[in-house]
Amino acid sequence: MKAGLDAVEEGPHPSERSTGSSDGKIDDPDGHPSVVALLLRFGDSVSGHRVSAGTQHVVWIDSARNLEILHWLRDDQDHQYDMISDITAVDYGAGRPIDVVYQLFSTVHKRALRIRCELPLDGLEIDSIVELWSAANWLEREIYDLFGVTFRKHPDLRRILMPHDYEEGHPLRKDFPLRGRFSRAEQTRRALDQSVEHSYIAEEMDLGRDPQQAAPIIGTKDGVGSEISDE
Amino acid sequence: MSKRTVEFNVGRNPEMGVDGSVVDSPILPFDMPEPDLGTENMLINIGPQHPATHGVLRLVCELDGETVKRVIPHIGYLHSSFEKLGEYRTWNQIVTLTDRIDYLAPLIYNCAYVMAVEKLMEIEVTERCKVVRVICMEMDRIFSHLLWLGTTAIDVGAFTPFLYAFQERERIYKLHEAFTGARITTSATRVGGMMADLPEGWTDGLQDFIDTFLNTLDEIDRLLTRNQIHIGRSQGVGAISAEEAINSGFTGANLRACGVEYDVRKDQPYYDYETYDFEIPVGKHGDCYDRYLCRMEEMRQSVSLLRQALERLPGGPIDVEDPNISLPSKTDCMSDMESMIHHFKLITEGIPAPEGDCYMAIEGSKGELGMYIVAEEGGTKPVRWRIRPPSFVNLSVLPKLAEEHLVSDLIMINASLDIVLGEIDR
Amino acid sequence: MGLRDVLPGGGTSSVTGGMFGDGSPTFLTSKIDWIINWSRRNSLWPMPFGTACCAIEMMASAASNYDLARFGMERMSFSPRQADVLICAGRVPYKLAPVLRRIWDQMPQPKWCVSMGACASSGGVFDVYSMVQGIDTIIPVDVYVPGCPPRPEGLIYGLMMIQEKIREESLSRHFEHRAEDPSSVARPHANDAQVVGLTGPFGNSTQQEELSNKESGATEEPPEELIP
Repeated sequence: MKAGLDAVEEGPHPSERSTGSSDGKIDDPDGHPSVVALLLRFGDSVSGHRVSAGTQHVVWIDSARNLEILHWLRDDQDHQYDMISDITAVDYGAGRPIDVVYQLFSTVHKRALRIRCELPLDGLEIDSIVELWSAANWLEREIYDLFGVTFRKHPDLRRILMPHDYEEGHPLRKDFPLRGRFSRAEQTRRALDQSVEHSYIAEEMDLGRDPQQAAPIIGTKDGVGSEISDE
Repeated sequence: MSKRTVEFNVGRNPEMGVDGSVVDSPILPFDMPEPDLGTENMLINIGPQHPATHGVLRLVCELDGETVKRVIPHIGYLHSSFEKLGEYRTWNQIVTLTDRIDYLAPLIYNCAYVMAVEKLMEIEVTERCKVVRVICMEMDRIFSHLLWLGTTAIDVGAFTPFLYAFQERERIYKLHEAFTGARITTSATRVGGMMADLPEGWTDGLQDFIDTFLNTLDEIDRLLTRNQIHIGRSQGVGAISAEEAINSGFTGANLRACGVEYDVRKDQPYYDYETYDFEIPVGKHGDCYDRYLCRMEEMRQSVSLLRQALERLPGGPIDVEDPNISLPSKTDCMSDMESMIHHFKLITEGIPAPEGDCYMAIEGSKGELGMYIVAEEGGTKPVRWRIRPPSFVNLSVLPKLAEEHLVSDLIMINASLDIVLGEIDR
Repeated sequence: MGLRDVLPGGGTSSVTGGMFGDGSPTFLTSKIDWIINWSRRNSLWPMPFGTACCAIEMMASAASNYDLARFGMERMSFSPRQADVLICAGRVPYKLAPVLRRIWDQMPQPKWCVSMGACASSGGVFDVYSMVQGIDTIIPVDVYVPGCPPRPEGLIYGLMMIQEKIREESLSRHFEHRAEDPSSVARPHANDAQVVGLTGPFGNSTQQEELSNKESGATEEPPEELIP
């Protein structure tokens, strides 16, 4: 376990002792009809199942079939998971795969289910499920921003919490240091960029006139103090 | 399932259809084609520093005159990486972080977080602790709704409800302070219990609040509910259908205003909520006015819940009597070696968790607040701490709600969603 | 071309006793100073740059219980062009930094700044990749109000300190008070060395023991890995 400043500079310590991933083990699915049905119908794509925290069922599925399986879970009458409560990702660190976690809830049957897809670090790509639940739009953007997972066919995949031109990496990864990769001075310098490209994304620049044509900022990088006469 | 549809007996705005569509505008005669003025759409930037965005939210709007054609919300202006900070802290140290996420209802976040950890570790808290936490959560629900009420009223142009609401909030601040020592950043819960038991006379203060709060609420009700200006600005504005709302991830009063009876306290109950007698207000039209009515009624229901909780508040210990989880008392530590060791280990190392993950959803003031915790075997710090913020998902629906509305409606819709940027950006 | 160049004697004159010059007040200037300072400090229009929890306490200060209207500050000016004192209440991430800088630059002189809360003053709990470690690296701050969040009484005390500061001002030291280097507009307020000094390794609370051991042998420079 890293100590002192090392832990802070190099990122949180990776989880060494966690089995975390699907090890092929299937716990007792009884008590959760959706898990039973999943094992029956998509048994070949299910790579693990566990009952966590006493009552919560977690199923690992093949990440290539996530769209198909989640579609079935949403539309099938016996399951009807019409609400996606949460989509998130877990990075265990130390080169282990990143898990994308889907938390589903059915308002009809009052059941919750957790689905996990493992993504290897050299293949951090998965299909987007925005077409199933539009709540997934921002939730997936956040995972892209903080973990670097690319969602195929996402309508608007860009950073959401960090600035759109953030270059230090993907913050919630375990190898990302707490204080960031650049020095504070460099971060401050980059932050104070007042250019239009820094403030507006490409999509907005097409909308109307360049907002800076009407009211240019005096003293930006184009000419420090150029409009103010020097003493 | 007890629900009550809130429908106020005031005529709907005649220019708006029931589903929010605009009907026969009296301004343009329909037989004349609109002249082609050769206009182009305008780009307007609202925020992040703006009084009406309720925090550091930035809305980039494409406007055709006053009508919003498209709005692109930008968030991240308050990103404080709580989730990463949590990976460096032990279970109890994270509680102090949780107050600062949703600073409008800190006790709800404190409770939600420790509930998730306790669920993961399969710890059952004492009966007294359950009731005290219910009291804290309901009190903070009122706390949060009061701020929402004050700031939404200001957005509509009414300043007085803001002052009335803040005066009531001051009384809750006093209760917070008497219990936890701080007005906003309460950090009141610990894994297995609370930071301390309720002080003497605190329940009298709460009883006092419950008895007199409804008078102020009625006063604000009188100012706003039948107010033609308020009605004109909120009825038919930002309406959404129930199916679309569920699909978009709406939760909380926003979803209930569309007619969906989804309340985590009823659907996935915790802390004996199924034994309390309360109703969940459900709207019909899914517009701003219904959200307002739902939240007003929710405050009344919270008062009723507080009354019931106070009646059933049992005695007994507030913390779990397990020295591996809760700190032993100081007198024990000073006299008994074993307690001293437990105390030492709990403070320096923390509570070891079992392997696994846990998603705990509660009904926060803004919607379904979820905490997802991943832990490793024997871990004293989380591997991953994820907050599912209700406002994050609620805000993502804003572009859909505000299309073809006026800019002033955009502000009203934004206010009615009840967002708090602290939890959106975390 | 400054005022000093056009005035006879460079602004100093034996008659007025150096109204803009050597800084010693005269009878006339001290009376004018008193009136100007009195009117400025009793009608400060705050520019509430509220981001997080401190903003709620700032709103509570403006509400009826801890009324800011007693000080003439109830007119919160959300437009920086009409504001006097910028109250930065809450944590400021790097994404918000250019906005803060821009708001500050848009405020006309005379202007003051209150950094309210631990996060605005020094980064607070958030010594992380996204958080500005104290807004004094971005804009000049006059008064720091510690607390997390500071009570409304604390904010009011901070604002009273601004009022004290204004009371001490004088026209004869006009340039000293008000001069802003135009080359520093939209640039970090603190230079690189100052930023490093202000935000240097501090560690988080769980590691402080290790750090104080490390400190005894450590130099002022940040570790190599942090510099790109």
